[in-house]
Amino acid sequence: MSDAEEQTGPPITLVEPIDVSKLDSEFRKTIRSMPNGEELMACFACSTCTAACPIANQWDYKPHQLIRMILLGMRDDVLSSKEIWECLTCFQCQERCPQKVRVTDIFFDCKNLAAEEGMIPDNIIGLARELAEKGQLYVVTADWEREDLGLEPEVPGLSANGIREILKTTRTNKIVGGES
Amino acid sequence: MKDAVLVIGAGVAGMTAAIELADSNIETVLIDRLPTAGGNALDLYKAFPTDDCFYCFEGSRSRPGIRKCFYRSALIDQPNLHLRTDTEVAEISGSPGSFTVKLTVGPRYVDSRKCILCGLCLELSNAFEQISPQCQPQAVIYRPDLLDDGAKKAESDCPTKAINLNAEPTEETVNITDIVLATGYHEMQPINVDEYSYGKHPNIITQLELAKILDPNGESGGALLRPSDGAQVKNMMMIQCVGSRDENYYAYCSKICCVFALKHAKIVSSERNGIGITVVYMDMRTYDRHERYYRETRDSGVRFLRGRLHLIDPREDGTLDVTVYDSLLNKYLRHNIDLLVLSSALEPPESNDGIIQLLDVQMRSGFIGPSDPFSENEVVAGDHLYVCGSATGPTEVPESVTQARAVVSKILQGRRS
Ligand SMILES: Cc1cc2nc3c(=O)[nH]c(=O)nc-3n(C[C@H](O)[C@H](O)[C@H](O)COP(=O)(O)OP(=O)(O)OC[C@H]3O[C@@H](n4cnc5c(N)ncnc54)[C@H](O)[C@@H]3O)c2cc1C
Ligand code: SF4
Ligand code: SF4
Ligand code: SF4
Ligand code: SF4
Repeated sequence: MSDAEEQTGPPITLVEPIDVSKLDSEFRKTIRSMPNGEELMACFACSTCTAACPIANQWDYKPHQLIRMILLGMRDDVLSSKEIWECLTCFQCQERCPQKVRVTDIFFDCKNLAAEEGMIPDNIIGLARELAEKGQLYVVTADWEREDLGLEPEVPGLSANGIREILKTTRTNKIVGGES
Repeated sequence: MKDAVLVIGAGVAGMTAAIELADSNIETVLIDRLPTAGGNALDLYKAFPTDDCFYCFEGSRSRPGIRKCFYRSALIDQPNLHLRTDTEVAEISGSPGSFTVKLTVGPRYVDSRKCILCGLCLELSNAFEQISPQCQPQAVIYRPDLLDDGAKKAESDCPTKAINLNAEPTEETVNITDIVLATGYHEMQPINVDEYSYGKHPNIITQLELAKILDPNGESGGALLRPSDGAQVKNMMMIQCVGSRDENYYAYCSKICCVFALKHAKIVSSERNGIGITVVYMDMRTYDRHERYYRETRDSGVRFLRGRLHLIDPREDGTLDVTVYDSLLNKYLRHNIDLLVLSSALEPPESNDGIIQLLDVQMRSGFIGPSDPFSENEVVAGDHLYVCGSATGPTEVPESVTQARAVVSKILQGRRS
């Protein structure tokens, strides 16, 4: 093995690392400056948030990893992740975080940023469309359950029109491709 | 000198014990094998937990003054305190309570009582050096291996005739009732821990070396510059637990390196603007009140990375590509940095071996342990033998001082009964 003797550089490995200098070091500043992001930097990676989360075992990126990725500047990976959209917004992580990091709120911030950049999953757009078109997400139908309970077929006084009008002037309308 | 106490090691612990004994009217001989008192804390700049300066001595001609420190006057002016630098124990005989100790005192090339730090000899020859602005006694030292004509000229031109190039070592025998071991610690030079390339690249240093660079009294005036070429450091990394908590080197946790790493990270991020800094750790161990350093450094933008080093790849431009495995993300991250600082283990000083042979004391991972491991008297190392400070294992300054005071209290109690 005369090759090995000549080799002076570091050993060759199969690892392909992430180049930290290519990440977005401003990302943590952006998040920190958003509503409820102030405590972001206090995270010490204890993973309490993940331990508290009722859904994280389904996720590739756990809540503590998402926070870590924000701190590192892995902007694109965070904003294009499915996890931020699948969050149940149950606030368990935020309640338990020992450093008062507002994890759930930070994921809201991430969703807002992702939306600005048009990175919204199709099913979420479907929901937005439903909302924009009908003014409500779950349309009450006259069925036997209401009858059994002695309720009128329609919800008395409900008018989704007002909501629909309001939504026309919001970003929700923009997201679904309408004019605002 | 009657019923004197011998304190071996003039670091924070030894100085505190000696000064407080002397103040209690006890003749005290304080020795250090180095030419200056102060020990490891000499070049540490700010100290946790107060962020105060370590030893603040009055100004002299060769440097601007800071403020007066009680150590200076105590070491020089306290009549019961006899400071002997360049001094080691050659022999101990007698029995506990009345030891006879033979000391070898190094040659007094420069009489510290005469030297006024005018700086003349420093200009004339490289053989003279002021080890630290905080050195005590406040005098230059002379290195005989660097003797040159300039040194000879300095000897004749010194305004106070403080220099004697032909000085010889002397011996001194003292009668001693109690011995206090305050021999401190040594920061491991991690040359054997191959993966860190320490000693192979100038921009890979230890925390103690970083402390010297950050010290405003140091060579660069506190600016964080690359040792390789003096260029400004833009990005740096620290790696924790180098040689500690590792059965191949030292199995114990060095206890204070997490805290001083945070202290340094905080100084760099809040006082040396714009330097990116990442701390690579396995556990951050910030006991007691020091947790605040951890939170404050995170807040000031220091990045923490839980994981271990994968590979160091030095670049031609003097920077290092350092790849670290991030165990929380399960990803490998490559950083391009100018300076890599290793939090190397704090080990027992080699000189402990000699002392342990001269005196029958218990070892504890190479440091000096209590004679009765089950007693609460951490500082009692034997009959009329005491130990304090980092001689017991890595300790911070407040703990060293507390132990030194416990020793003083034990000795005073012993004399009363
Ligand atoms: C990078 C770094 C940063 C630190 N920062 C802080 C901080 O911010 N705050 C804090 O509280 N602590 C800090 N520490 C710890 C601090 O250095 C120690 O607590 C303190 O120096 C211990 O003092 P000591 O007197 O016990 O030992 P030492 O300072 O080690 O002194 C021992 C003395 O004994 C002498 N000696 C040894 N053997 C012999 C012998 N056989 N004969 C004669 N003399 C001998 C040595 O020459 C030395 O002068 C830091 C340590 C490091 C490495
Ligand atoms: S619980 Fe809080 S501190 Fe712990 S990892 Fe999650 S965000 Fe970070
Ligand atoms: S708010 Fe979202 S991330 Fe937090 S615990 Fe609930 S589901 Fe998990
Ligand atoms: S010339 Fe004499 S007084 Fe001046 S620094 Fe040197 S030894 Fe001290
Ligand atoms: S104090 Fe921190 S860096 Fe030092 S050995 Fe312990 S865990 Fe490691």
